[in-house]
Amino acid sequence: MINELDKYPINGFYDESVNDDGMPRESSKQLFDALSSLSIDNFKELKTNADKTIAQMGISFTIYSDKGNIDRLWPFDIFPRIISSDDWSDISIGLKQRLKALNMFIEDVYNEQAIFKAGIIPEEVILSSKDYRPECKGMKLKHTSWASVCGSDLVRAGDGEVYVLEDNLRVPSGVSYMLENRAVMKQVMPEVFQDINIMPVDQYPANLLSMLRSLSPNDDPNPEVVVLTPGIFNSAYYEHAYLAHEMGAELVEGSDLIVKEDDCVYMRNVDGLKKVDVIYRRIDDAFLDPEVFNKDSTLGVAGLMRAWRSGNVGIANAPGCGVADDKVVYSYVPDMIRFYLNEEPLVQNVPSYLCSVEKDREYVLAHLNELVVKPANESGGYGLLIGPHASEEELAEFHELILENPRNYIAQPTLKLSTVPTLCEDGLEPRHVDLRPFILQGAMSYVTAGGLTRVALTKGSLVVNSSQGGGSKDTWIVRS
Amino acid sequence: MLSRVAERVYWLSRYVERVENTARLARVHAQLMFDLPKSAKLGWYALVEITSTEDYFESHYDARTEKNVMTMLLADRNNSVSLMSSLWWARENTRTTREILPREAWIHINELYLMVKEHQESFKTRRERNNLLDKIIKSCQAWSGMLASTMSQNETYRFMKLGMAIERADMTSRSLDVGGLFAAQDGQSDSDFQYDSILWANLLKSVSAYFMYRQHYQTEIMGQDVVDFLMHDFEFARSVRYCLNTMHTMASKLPNNHAVTHSIEELVSSMDNSTDFEVGSSDLHDYLDELQADLSEIHSKFYSIWFNPVTVV
Repeated sequence: MINELDKYPINGFYDESVNDDGMPRESSKQLFDALSSLSIDNFKELKTNADKTIAQMGISFTIYSDKGNIDRLWPFDIFPRIISSDDWSDISIGLKQRLKALNMFIEDVYNEQAIFKAGIIPEEVILSSKDYRPECKGMKLKHTSWASVCGSDLVRAGDGEVYVLEDNLRVPSGVSYMLENRAVMKQVMPEVFQDINIMPVDQYPANLLSMLRSLSPNDDPNPEVVVLTPGIFNSAYYEHAYLAHEMGAELVEGSDLIVKEDDCVYMRNVDGLKKVDVIYRRIDDAFLDPEVFNKDSTLGVAGLMRAWRSGNVGIANAPGCGVADDKVVYSYVPDMIRFYLNEEPLVQNVPSYLCSVEKDREYVLAHLNELVVKPANESGGYGLLIGPHASEEELAEFHELILENPRNYIAQPTLKLSTVPTLCEDGLEPRHVDLRPFILQGAMSYVTAGGLTRVALTKGSLVVNSSQGGGSKDTWIVRS
Repeated sequence: MLSRVAERVYWLSRYVERVENTARLARVHAQLMFDLPKSAKLGWYALVEITSTEDYFESHYDARTEKNVMTMLLADRNNSVSLMSSLWWARENTRTTREILPREAWIHINELYLMVKEHQESFKTRRERNNLLDKIIKSCQAWSGMLASTMSQNETYRFMKLGMAIERADMTSRSLDVGGLFAAQDGQSDSDFQYDSILWANLLKSVSAYFMYRQHYQTEIMGQDVVDFLMHDFEFARSVRYCLNTMHTMASKLPNNHAVTHSIEELVSSMDNSTDFEVGSSDLHDYLDELQADLSEIHSKFYSIWFNPVTVV
């Protein structure tokens, strides 16, 4: 196996496991040692076992039809992504700092708006965001926990530095795959877990539960916490069920809940109605409450906003928190950290050009073929322009789009995403990765040990989204 | 416990029970067919009658052959009560209630589903079919045993037991009905009569009652005794009476159970007061029809009380 590294291409990208001289990095040495006795064929057998385990556990995306589900199994690569614990401890402090500032910002937006008055962020940038919800004005939340669960996407660039690519504050998903990936790896390579000091990830559901309990609006020592799912047709349903199961919380659909005239939320139980204290909602704002938002929504609960505004139920993530999950707002996060915390940001932003700012826009339009252009509030890698790979038509199309609606676009330099050795047909090859850690903020803050590493399985591809041909890897935070 | 979830776990265990019963039925019926002479009136079509799928069969298949009947009963996803359909629904209901079940419950059903789906072609040939059916039966049994030993006897468990018991009672009564119909057929020749005991023995096997029946009655197998055993025995887990007792025990520990327990008590006392039916008479058929209607009535009470009660805001 170690001989495999002779053939491993060093091609100018930062590799998470292999140094520029072709030797294992410090944090990956033990893994390469442990694998030294394996041939590539042995390694492929492990991969087959992993796939079998994944099928049996039923870890899948589901495309639904009543004649049998088209289950697409979760694509998984068995070579882990390794980060040293020293590295990680700096990053996780930075992530907590970032979420704390974001939460203070959201509360400020819906209350005093000090950051506008201080001239740090232009007011119109926020008020024109499609995720700004005037219905949230005047709300102050326990522990300032608006974005109670945050999934930030991190990348390591060619310079070896880690950058935040975006903050997912609305209903971030993927954490169950992080946990399942670990379970699969323990099944497939139990030996390495004995020899290598890998930080555990399994405490996440317990931490999530204690965070959610800390959002309860009353002092009942046993608040009723529920997970609100859009239902079995949602592609993340698997995760909703997984988390409810691990927390021992009820998994509810909108139709299971009811808001009575006392503005409290109840669930329909076999023995009648039972009061609900905290809702971990996994549906978008727009569908949350047909009384206030999308009138046609059958997924939500009529009156939920009333109950929340009256302080009778805690909702995570809070309605309206998406206002800070916007790629334009993103570019101001370092300023927020300085403004609210009087600290320097510990994890950096990717430099961004705001098309709404004239100087930036001119630069972007002149350099379209070098930049990545992103719509301000789409997720899942849709509507992207990757300049260096784009056709003339696509470049022209984005030129138009930006001129039509500059507020809706930002641009960033094309990042040289780091790579991790990945098992391919002919052995190990470098493939590009990102990392989504999950950060919780309630009575206390918590960051997962690592997170979900997503990998672009196609050679040369930078797109890691599972909806577009990406896979994932187990992520190891290794103590030396 | 949420009403919606209670409904799903109830159906989940009904479907698993139905998968096991259907597999057993197909397995045993094939054995019986090999023993009976070619002239016997009982054919493969009896399986269609037991599962009340005559209309579906007539409109989707032509000849009443072994291949057609087995395909419809086991593999046909358009037949809502085929083994594959029941298994698919069992899996869907587990997938959508996995948050309250032991983790193995999902893994086990998922594995079974994937295994059967992969080997579906085996339903078409006798030998492979039998092997596959055996595996399915074993897997369902292992599933029930696993749940019994890993779940608290909580509300979830009670709703599951309720679903299992009502499905069993229904299946046992259906099997009895077909046995009765066969015995009632006119113009049976003497040579058919010697096959009577084979028929009843197989019927017992189809509800896995053969050995327990044997221990209970040490005489030859008589239709009258079989009916009595499968209807009224207090100790055999698949007799209608035992299933009703189970339903009563489970229901009595669930909230607002009065209307349900009351209906079950009424059904039990009407069974106690019924006179013995002459095997082969139309009375038995009518009685079993009525029993199935009563079970269906109790089933709808589960809905009005637990699964879908009217809520006043």
